[in-house]
This record gives sequence, C-alpha cells and structure tokens, in this order.
Amino acid sequence: MDDRAVRWRRAPGEWFLRVGFLTAAAFVAVVPLLWMVANALKSGGETITRASANPFDPLFWPTTPLWTNFVQVWLDDDFGSYFVHSALIAGVTTAGVLLTSILAAYAFARLRFPGRETIFSGLLATLMIPEVVTVLPNFLVVSALGWVDTLAGLTVPFMAGAFSIFLLRQFIRQIPETLFDAAQIDGASHLRTTFSLVVPLTRGPLFTIAFLEVTASWNSLQWPLLVAQTPRWRPLSVGLARFLSGVGPQIELRMAASLIALVPIVLFFLMAQRQIHETLMKSGLQE
Amino acid sequence: MQKREPLTAFLFLTPALLLVGVFGVLPILHSVFLSLFRWSLKPGPFLGLGNYEEIFGSLWSLAWVAGLAALVVFAFRGTRSSRAAVRWAGRLTLAATLGGLFVLLGVSWADGDSDFFRSLVVTFWFVLGTVPFQMLFGLVLALGLDAKFQGKKALRSLFLVPYVVPVVASAGVFDLLFSLRPESMANQILHGVGMAPAQWLREPRGLFQLAGLSPGPDPWLALWTSGPSLALVCILIFNVWIYSGYYALIFSNGLAAIPREVYEAAKLDGVGGGRLLFRIILPLLSPTSYFLALLGVISTFKAFTSVFILRDAAVGGATDPTSVYIFFTFFRGLRYGYAAALAFVLFLLVLGLTLVQRRILERRVFYG
Repeated sequence: MDDRAVRWRRAPGEWFLRVGFLTAAAFVAVVPLLWMVANALKSGGETITRASANPFDPLFWPTTPLWTNFVQVWLDDDFGSYFVHSALIAGVTTAGVLLTSILAAYAFARLRFPGRETIFSGLLATLMIPEVVTVLPNFLVVSALGWVDTLAGLTVPFMAGAFSIFLLRQFIRQIPETLFDAAQIDGASHLRTTFSLVVPLTRGPLFTIAFLEVTASWNSLQWPLLVAQTPRWRPLSVGLARFLSGVGPQIELRMAASLIALVPIVLFFLMAQRQIHETLMKSGLQE
Repeated sequence: MQKREPLTAFLFLTPALLLVGVFGVLPILHSVFLSLFRWSLKPGPFLGLGNYEEIFGSLWSLAWVAGLAALVVFAFRGTRSSRAAVRWAGRLTLAATLGGLFVLLGVSWADGDSDFFRSLVVTFWFVLGTVPFQMLFGLVLALGLDAKFQGKKALRSLFLVPYVVPVVASAGVFDLLFSLRPESMANQILHGVGMAPAQWLREPRGLFQLAGLSPGPDPWLALWTSGPSLALVCILIFNVWIYSGYYALIFSNGLAAIPREVYEAAKLDGVGGGRLLFRIILPLLSPTSYFLALLGVISTFKAFTSVFILRDAAVGGATDPTSVYIFFTFFRGLRYGYAAALAFVLFLLVLGLTLVQRRILERRVFYG
C-alpha cells in the first residue's frame, strides 16, 4: 500500500486524473439526490420555472427554501405512523435474523454432526431462488395463518437467511481454537459459549448484518404490498408508493415525501459505514 | 459433551432451517401443486397441465420445449468432452437445438402467453443492460479507489449512497428526471447536445428501432431486433446507478486481498499499465468477478421495485421483466394457479441458467 502511495506522489498527473475521475463519478451518484433535495424545497411554480440539470447553476436551487412542503406532506398522509411501522418491522426482523443466524452459524462452524456440509450447501443454494417464486405460496401460507395485516406476517418470513449465516460462519471459523478450549475447560455450554464468547467477538459482522437487514426491510416493497393491505401496519415504502401514485404531478410534494423516507436510512448508513467497510474487508468474501 | 454435539447442533439449527424451509424451499413445491389447479383467490378445479398448456400454447409445444431443453443440456455436456469429435458434435447439436428452441419459443409466443415470452425478452435485456455495465463501472471505481489519497473515505461512502437509499424514493426522482417535460433533466441534457426531447419512460419503441434500424418482418424476431424499449433503458440506467457503487465495494475487497508482493514483483519485472491490469490484476480478481456476475444475473430475476415505480401503463408492459409480470398476474389478475405455473417455469429457467453460468464461468476463474 505504502509503495503504491509513493508512486502517486511521484506522478501528480496520474493522481489528478484519479481524483478527478472519482469526483466526477461521485457527482453522478449524488446529483439525483441533490435534485430531490432542491425540488423538495421549491414552490410548485418554481419546480417548473426554475429548472436546471446542473447543481452549480443557481436555477437548480430554490430562491428561498420552502420548508412547509414537509409539513404539508406530513399532514396530507399518515407518514408518522408509517415511520413507526417501518421501524418496528425492521427492528423485529433484524432481531430475529441475528438470533437465528448466530445459532445456526455457530453450529455450522463449531459443532460436528452428520450431514453438516450437505445441509450448508443446501442452505446456500436457496440464495438462487427468485423471490417471485416464493412470494405467492408464502402469501397463501401467511393468509392461512391469519397473519395478513399483522406484525408477524411482515417479519417472521424474513427472520432467517442464508447470507447472514454464511457471513457469520466465516468469522466464527477465524476465532482461535484456544478460546473455545478455554471456554470448554471452564465448563461453559455451547449456548453460553455462543453468547458470551462468540457474540462479543463477532460484533462487527453482527452489526453489518443488522445494517443490511434494516436496509432491506426498510426498502422492501413487494411483500408489504401484499401483506400490509390496510393502514394498520402499512410501512413507509408502501405508504410512499401510494402517496406518489396518488398525489399527482406536484413535484415538490413528491420530492418532500421521498426525502422523508430517505433521511433516516441515510443517516443510519453514515453512522454505520466505517464498521461495514471493515467487516466486508475481513469477511473473506473474495475467496 | 462430545456425544451431545449432534443434539445441540439440531437445536441450534432448528429456528433458521425451519424458517428457510417453510418460507424459502417449501414454496417451490407449493407452486408446483398450485400450478395444477385453476385457482383464483379460492381453490378451483384440477387442471393437470392446463396452466402450462396456456403458457406454451399447446401441450405439443410444451413437450417440444422440454425435449429441446433437455437436448441443450445434453449437447452442452458434449462440448465439455475430452474427445475432439464429441466436442464438435456437441457444438453442432448445441447450435441446432438453441436455434430450434428459439423458433419454438416464437411459436409459443404466438399461440400461448405472449406477454410472458415478451417478459423473458425484457429480462434478457435487463441482464445485458445492467450486469456488464455495473461490473465495468464497479471495477473502474474500485481501481480508482485502490490508492492512498485525501478524501478516499468520503468518496467511497458517496458511491454507496445510491445503494442505500430506498428504491421507492430514488425511483421517484428518476421518474421526474426522465419526465416528458422539456425542462426535465434528461430532456435538458438532450437539448444541450442539440436533440429534440424524447418520450423516455413512455416510449415503447426499441432502442435500435429509434436509431433507424429496421427490425425486420418477422414479429417474433422483431421483438429481439428492435432492442430494449427506451422506457426500459431508463429503468436500466437507474439500476446501474443503484448498483455500481455496491459492485465497487465488492471489487475493492477483492483488490485489497491481492498480496503486495505481486505488485512488487511486477514492478521489478518492469510490468505496468495495461499488462499489469489485464495479465495480473484481472485474473487475480476473477473469483470476485465470478461472484458478482452470478449475483448480478440472479438479482435481475428479483428486480421489482424499480420497475414497479417507473413502469408506465402507456408502454403496455414493454418494461416488465418476468418477475413483475408474474406479480401482476396474481396481484391484479388474481390468477393464483396460473401465476404459480409461470413462477415454476421461471424457477426452472433460473436453475438452468445458474448451472450453465457456473459451468461456463468456473473454467475461467483463477483461484491462485
């Protein structure tokens, strides 16, 4: 790494090209979102009269930011309760995933039992199944259980996943054998070992899985469209999709509503990102 | 302690395997069961293969498609043979059967569920229009990030923002960026290069067709040769925008795993620039590329939210990949049995593609 850093210092032209290119790419990544922010703060007239594709053009931005758009959107629809629903659904799903995954990953990484490798590859194969194949039968099962419009219907089907088990297993296998020997000599049960030895040592990956699950749950649309049919448990994604198809062409309200749905998850990402990068770097995913 | 390990393992695995089994694996068998009935909201009469007959036009077409698909697999295995004569026979059979399958699907498209077969064409463009671009952009970004410089962490985070943002929200933005109004961002860019405003998400005509190429007289062939509709291209651009940063992250991990000695040895031997990239870095990255290619194709079959928000009724399904078409068959059409049959056909297709892709790509992967 140092070696390469020296090379860049010697070639300022190349450095300039590199940083210039990356900045341009970051610009492409962010401009649509800047456009969202700018238009969420415009008046209805300004979204049409003040239009520009270039954030360095003053026409891209409103003359005076109109914060009342957010108030209007918030009052027009029930975004407050959508928020609470989404947060609860994401929280319960994530807690479930973490619990089932750490137990299963411990078994796959540390316990000897017949058919271990076969079961594990079978589990990984489920990653290949497209969601649209499972969604209709699952909907019928959830309906038969009476779980339509309930928290259980929105969370339980997602409380286990092959990917998180795979990721945790990779990390548990990296924990030195001696630590497990010590735990065994101390007479700790496997359950005890899992929670007082493995969990603290895999905080990074657990946190990353939590982040991925929260994001997936917060952003999911297909399943909640089916299962959250009434406002009772309607999450933000469905609420926003309905709002966008019902509000008509008012750009400023569309963008204000989208921004409301986006802010919590982006803040969460900015707080969590360092940990996520670190985990994925160590995960051995590239092997 | 040792003797109780299988029991402990069983208890530890039960919650995860039960959930994955009930909600991930059982639905496939459940789909097969449902697909044999006329099932609309409520259970209906047993149809046997009736739903499959409706998809493919007739039982004959279904039998032919199944037979030729089996022959494709057989011929594909032949191309892997160690004997040159068998390899050539395999290649010829493979070309012939693939051609036959293409014609046959055209017949099914005409007689059977043409919307379903069109959705397969859309899915094909979806794969071709997203996966290579995401991989290319992801790789270029990752190579750009693979050095020490000020602001690296900030840039790296910015690239991931499109992936993190809820798709419903960002799709709402792209809906407006690609709006018909002359002041929309897409039309302003066209204006900037001196072109007339386009219909974007409301344009059902294919890209090649818009470029002035004649799609030819055969309607089934024209479905392919007219290219992806402009409306679909907008959705593809949106998807590439979402995923490129994520691909860059995974490629970065792959690059970080390349030992520093490799670079040092290359430098000592005077290897740099293009040769370093194509002869050393890319082969060492091939496991990552393999993983991403596999992931990319699979996730195409999961693409839902971006299409759901950006699809316009005016283009008459020209943007709907199979996943979305099936969803609407049971969500709006309430045809559960039929949708289950479609889903099972899709499952078999994905299964076949995954196996073929693994076979083809695995040979090119260099595991060091």
